[in-house]
Amino acid sequence: MSPPPLVAHGLGKRFRREWALRELTLTIPTGAVVGLAGPNAAGKSTLLSLAAGMLAPSEGSIAVLGHDPRGTPEVLAEIGYVAQGAPLYRSFRVSDTIEYARRTNSRWDGEIAVELLTHIDSRTKVGALSAGERARLALALALGKRPRLVLLDEPFASLDPLAGRELLQLLMDGVAELGATVIVASHVVSDIQRVCDHIVLLSSGCVRLEGNVEQLLESHRLLTGPRRPLGSIRGVREVVRERHSGRQLTLLAITDGPIVDPSWTVDPVSLEELLLAYMAPERLPTPQATERVPLRWHG
Amino acid sequence: MIEFHLDPQSGVATYLQIVRQVKDALRLGTLDVGDQLPTVREVVADLAVNPNTVAKAYRDLEREGLVVARQGRGTFIASTLAPASLQHHAELRQELERWLASAWRAGLDEESIRALVSTTLRESLARRVA
Amino acid sequence: MAWVTWRQHGSQAFGALGLLAALVVAAVLTHLPIASAFDHDSLSACLPPAARTGCDIIVPHFEGQFGGLVTATRVLAVLPLLAGLFVGAPLIARELEFGTYRFAWTQGVSRRGWLLSKTLLLAGGTVLAAGAASLVVMWWRSPFDMLEGRIGPSGFDVEGIVVPAYALFALALGVLAGLLFRRTVAAMTATLVAFGATRFLVSGFLRPHFMAPLHRVIAASATSGMPGDWVLSNTLVDGGGRQVSAASEELAVLHAQQAGIDPHTYILTLGWKRIISYQPAGRFWTFQFLEAGLFVGLAVALVLVSLWLVRRTPA
Repeated sequence: MSPPPLVAHGLGKRFRREWALRELTLTIPTGAVVGLAGPNAAGKSTLLSLAAGMLAPSEGSIAVLGHDPRGTPEVLAEIGYVAQGAPLYRSFRVSDTIEYARRTNSRWDGEIAVELLTHIDSRTKVGALSAGERARLALALALGKRPRLVLLDEPFASLDPLAGRELLQLLMDGVAELGATVIVASHVVSDIQRVCDHIVLLSSGCVRLEGNVEQLLESHRLLTGPRRPLGSIRGVREVVRERHSGRQLTLLAITDGPIVDPSWTVDPVSLEELLLAYMAPERLPTPQATERVPLRWHG
Repeated sequence: MIEFHLDPQSGVATYLQIVRQVKDALRLGTLDVGDQLPTVREVVADLAVNPNTVAKAYRDLEREGLVVARQGRGTFIASTLAPASLQHHAELRQELERWLASAWRAGLDEESIRALVSTTLRESLARRVA
Repeated sequence: MAWVTWRQHGSQAFGALGLLAALVVAAVLTHLPIASAFDHDSLSACLPPAARTGCDIIVPHFEGQFGGLVTATRVLAVLPLLAGLFVGAPLIARELEFGTYRFAWTQGVSRRGWLLSKTLLLAGGTVLAAGAASLVVMWWRSPFDMLEGRIGPSGFDVEGIVVPAYALFALALGVLAGLLFRRTVAAMTATLVAFGATRFLVSGFLRPHFMAPLHRVIAASATSGMPGDWVLSNTLVDGGGRQVSAASEELAVLHAQQAGIDPHTYILTLGWKRIISYQPAGRFWTFQFLEAGLFVGLAVALVLVSLWLVRRTPA
């Protein structure tokens, strides 16, 4: 069994006096396409920087493929990292940048890079490329190393929808060929929900929600019904979020069985809806199954 | 060769949509025994979806005996969906059409019919489980 | 890394070559009148220790003729600093400023390996360029070196092996400054200040004492007349060895004039003497090795600190 692509244990990172990440414990499954979601300043970039060996943890630990990412350069060869904004040397030509990557990475596959860079003249200077082309170049450099873990920090920011779709196609194709694990950080869920099979939601430096997307969508339901005091509901294990307007009450709940009460309309929940619900700072306590819950009036 | 499309808003899982589209194509006759399905990479590059999803859809189809994966060469249709299977349920289908006619006559609109069907189905499932 | 270093610093290499070429052209052009004056006045016969009559007029005339030019060449002492400002300071500072370190330091080369390879390759280039400049200056200054010696500051700072040593020091200083200040302009400023301060302190306070200075006692009225040596101090002392202040000297001369006696003779009778403290010309190469060794040692220490620090940047 090869070690998981990323394991964090009580990971914390502090900048001067602010904690960007705190008590973060996480295991990413091999071969997953992971969406790292959360609002701005949630700690997503910090987590990816720690995974890429750019930063050192203030407390706790992080291991990539079983190794410390700040250890030997051999670990770096397994990680394909594209930082926010895809920083590259603007005065270099595309061909120079490829050559740079080719010479500094022991395991380099020029073909992957070429495939990603069709329709781009290799003599163009990086500074003259469009945002979409630069993103593709950065991705080509990351995938050309044949990494086992790909880390992308907000790759779709500043890309128009067409360029974004193209980047996603190329990324998925690359992942299919390499069998790599991917972590994509994005604060726009719709950019990534098409492809993620695993989600990690960060907010204010903590993990709010984490798991396999299919299982999460399967275990959560949106219940709509007439407004009333809440007792326990058969089939509902925990209410994540409660909303009411006028005479209607909407619950986002974790279910552990079918909802048989006919007064509830049960609908599946979209990933975006789910993430928004878990991002809220307060979450409601679980209604107890046996005792009667004190009446809650929403006045 | 079949071309897949994805409806991300439908609420149906991606892999299920792929499975359904293959089955629909088989029923319509646009796919026949021996035809090759697009490779995982082709689907992924076209639709920008997770390769695991496509792999899962193809595995499901293989388990149902509809396709067979040939090592190094691709995934091929192994058998068609016999129209006979649809005939099996011809009676049920006719009953359903009769019931629907009654529902229209009773003045139910599409939404109400769907709600009624959903709720009844759910209750029925619950009773089967209990 | 050799290709990477060349691709990123190639333009700097061309800049250095251009500068060298300009230096050579300037040296050759200004050399012509110097060489012709030297031959015309047969100054070769005036080289110490030879001293034929008339030399005490011809030599100062020659020196006066080109004194301005010689002083101007002292500006070349700034050349080694350029390695620090334009090669060393931007090395890391630029990467940090533009965020490209997130690309450079996530390829298959460790940060230390990246920094060490680049620094060694650039150091090699710097030594070559600085060495070439030093040779050009030595060639140009040879008539003046023969007449005035080169162990004094105007020759020492721009000739010999100290020039590449200063350049290596400046380079290492720039690299560390870039790591500490993370902005190119700030790093350049820090390099300038630190380089200037160190050179000033070493040449002003350490170099005179690399070896114990020699002393010479001459008549109070004589001129030191030690071409080629580096005179550190020239003190008038009385019979008891105590320094005579300028005021006292003036007073004595006045006294002599009032009494109608020749001041020189009067001072002789007072028993006053001059003590010259100096470093002899023959110590030039010894001092060069000592100072070069000091600056190279500093450069190595700075590079080691940088290698240690680079793993911690950014925090």
